Amino acid sequence: MALFDVKNLSFKYPGGHEHALEDVSFCVNKGEFVVVCGDTGSGKTTLLRLLKKELSPMGEKRGNVLFEGQDVLELPEREAAGKIGYVMQAPEQQIVTDKVWHELAFGLENLGVPKDVIARRVAETASYFGIENWYDKDVNELSGGQKQLLNLAAVMVMNPSVIIFDEPTSRLDPIAASNFISTIKKLNENLGITVIISEHRLEELIPLCDRLMVLRNGKVVSLGEPREVIEGLCGEKDGIVEAMPGAVRLYREMGAEGRCPLTVKEGRGFVENFGNRVCSLPEKNKEKIEKKDEKYALEFKNVFFRYGKNLPDVLKDLDFFVRQGEVFCVLGGNGAGKSTMLLSAMSFLRPYSGEIRVFDKKLRDYRGQSLFDNLVGFLPQNVQTLFLKDTAKEELAGDITALPFDVAGYLSKHPYDLSGGEQQLVGLAKVLMQKPKILLADEPTKGLDAAKKREIGNIFRKLGEQGVTVVAVTHDAEFAAEFADRCGLLFKGKIVAEATPHKFFAENNYYTTSAAVMSKGYYDGAVTIADLAKLCRLNESGNVKDGVSG
Amino acid sequence: MRAFGDYNPRITAIYFAIIIGISMLCMNPVLQCLSFLGGLLYFVISDEDGLRLKTHAFYGAVFLITALINPLVSHNGVTVLLVVNDNPITLEAVIYGVFAALAIVTALYWFRCFSGVMTSDKLLYICGGLSPRISLVISMSLRFVPLFRRHYREVRLAQTALGVYKDETFGSRLKGGVAVFSSMVTWALENGIVTADSMTARGYGTGRRSFFSDYKVRKNDLIMLFIVVCLGVVTILSIAVGALTVDFYPAFCWKGLSGWSVSGVVAFGLLCFIPVFVEIGEKIKWHFLTLKI
Repeated sequence: MALFDVKNLSFKYPGGHEHALEDVSFCVNKGEFVVVCGDTGSGKTTLLRLLKKELSPMGEKRGNVLFEGQDVLELPEREAAGKIGYVMQAPEQQIVTDKVWHELAFGLENLGVPKDVIARRVAETASYFGIENWYDKDVNELSGGQKQLLNLAAVMVMNPSVIIFDEPTSRLDPIAASNFISTIKKLNENLGITVIISEHRLEELIPLCDRLMVLRNGKVVSLGEPREVIEGLCGEKDGIVEAMPGAVRLYREMGAEGRCPLTVKEGRGFVENFGNRVCSLPEKNKEKIEKKDEKYALEFKNVFFRYGKNLPDVLKDLDFFVRQGEVFCVLGGNGAGKSTMLLSAMSFLRPYSGEIRVFDKKLRDYRGQSLFDNLVGFLPQNVQTLFLKDTAKEELAGDITALPFDVAGYLSKHPYDLSGGEQQLVGLAKVLMQKPKILLADEPTKGLDAAKKREIGNIFRKLGEQGVTVVAVTHDAEFAAEFADRCGLLFKGKIVAEATPHKFFAENNYYTTSAAVMSKGYYDGAVTIADLAKLCRLNESGNVKDGVSG
Repeated sequence: MRAFGDYNPRITAIYFAIIIGISMLCMNPVLQCLSFLGGLLYFVISDEDGLRLKTHAFYGAVFLITALINPLVSHNGVTVLLVVNDNPITLEAVIYGVFAALAIVTALYWFRCFSGVMTSDKLLYICGGLSPRISLVISMSLRFVPLFRRHYREVRLAQTALGVYKDETFGSRLKGGVAVFSSMVTWALENGIVTADSMTARGYGTGRRSFFSDYKVRKNDLIMLFIVVCLGVVTILSIAVGALTVDFYPAFCWKGLSGWSVSGVVAFGLLCFIPVFVEIGEKIKWHFLTLKI
């Protein structure tokens, strides 16, 4: 029997003109792994929430959602809470209590489960998820990845038969995200938990899932086995393909013929079909050297920093420069010192040794707040910290036409009512209104869908052309490969490698793009899907020519 | 190793309530001294700051100041020591000042020990027994305060970089501060919605909650409870019959030795030193246990 049976479900928010969902029907069977994808505003969250009684939004609803043959809204309260688990996007805000053990017990306490049963279930769950080591900790001490794992464990402790995830990894760094996804896979495979998950970043989910559902404007566009769905989508030039694994994007670039590769391994096979008579793109070698003569906008000279006398160095002999008008991306793992680097560049933190220069002037020679007077701008990781007013229009008081992008569509709304990507754009606009000459950005693409990422990237490029220097700290290799002039790898407080993206990612083995991995040792310096497609095409046409002449 | 703080939190709470209550309410010099010594010694052996001179210097300063103030403002008493600006300084007022100051410092030491022993988990356990709902509210507040503080720091930083504090005048700073605070409220409400969703999604409000904690009442706890209550009752009775009453004014006067006063002092002395006995006893036991490892 189907676990979820959704029949002709339509939904409209009160006051909304259009349907958020329109005539959606599907089944989810026990033990299935279903991925729901779609652009922002396609109705993913609305659909997922309608599957969970307690979170069902208010509004005009037609059709039914049946859970084990019973309407979800008529399920007994405690059964509904326990059997259908729900994990949301924000790791931080979902946590209710102050201690890890208490958070684990919270759901069972709500259900009135006796103390000794809670003790057993909590212990069991904690050891399954490897939480024992931080069981007694305050939740504030946990990393983002640990917090989200705790949220999952706190749901699992209630013994659900299905867990619904609404973009659970969008606020995690790639390593934590992939750990989280493999945990979900483990739950699905080893414990038979049904999984319904929506996500922007599909790279790792697509190869795992049983079925893929594509939503567009509240309608189910496609639903089925992932390869079939994707092959169908690639034919149509759908925007959602941008979010797909690199292999899929390459497949589409190459005309979407034959069997679609989903994983890096399959992608490599796909590439090798084209042969490697031409190994590298000729024009790549003289890329973007025109900025060589520009002066330094930001310079770190042997900078050392630590947070306390007896704590280890966070920045350790950090030494690099960024030229005016460059887009410089700093990559590195958690705790490598990326944020510390940005904070010390704004003199929020003072290094105990070394020197930081902004436009060839020592940081400490900038009196008072003069550093932030049309000179340095900062786009923080959490853009909500930028907003003080009730509408985006008030936030952006001034001439918005001077901005390198269009924000006119967002002006009437409260900043918090905008989607994550739109908030990011409005935040960036607010920072740029100050006309900074150097823009420091902390994880500017975190949690964004492919379209918004591209928009941010293009803005950075435009800023670079206008002579604004951009220093972005990021985990996103694909983004850096496409939009940076230069990339640096920060490790243990030090830049250990630094080069143009095409050299940088071609030489990296792990911290690199899917295109570089798929073509490693086969082509040289193909780091973006566009490069890779170009090379494949060159080889393809070469083959055809040979065929004709031979 | 089980230290005094590892007894069941309810028993530790009862213990501290009795000790701090008696020390603060009964102005008997002997009891004060016993309580002071017990609290000080326990603090020194159990707390990691126990041997830091700075902590003790602070309490010393508190002692000196409060002890000095009393004879300067209170001129009761029959034994005049000297006259300052026509105001007599009396021996009785000096003695009273010393013991009142001692009472304050004693209470400070005991509270310090109490906060070292009573972690938030334990407080929650104690409240949870009374009302699971109150305990949840406390737990959520404990969770929220650091979250709020961290977000405030982030907002300040982002706003500084935006040039909100650029003018460096008091007015602009104040305006900036107000704007930041109001945005914090919006943020808190907005994020509160997510937390509320996460709570209802996990069955909050579906009926009577149960309460989970790792603490159990063991045999040791019951023995300890029995000892504490017995000693406490003896002390309180001897105070109640007036055997330990001391008059400071107009002249220092005490009731003399009696069966009641001796048993009261002995009982209270034992009570004050229970934590020290437990800690030392455990250390010795632990020493012998490690010999076997």
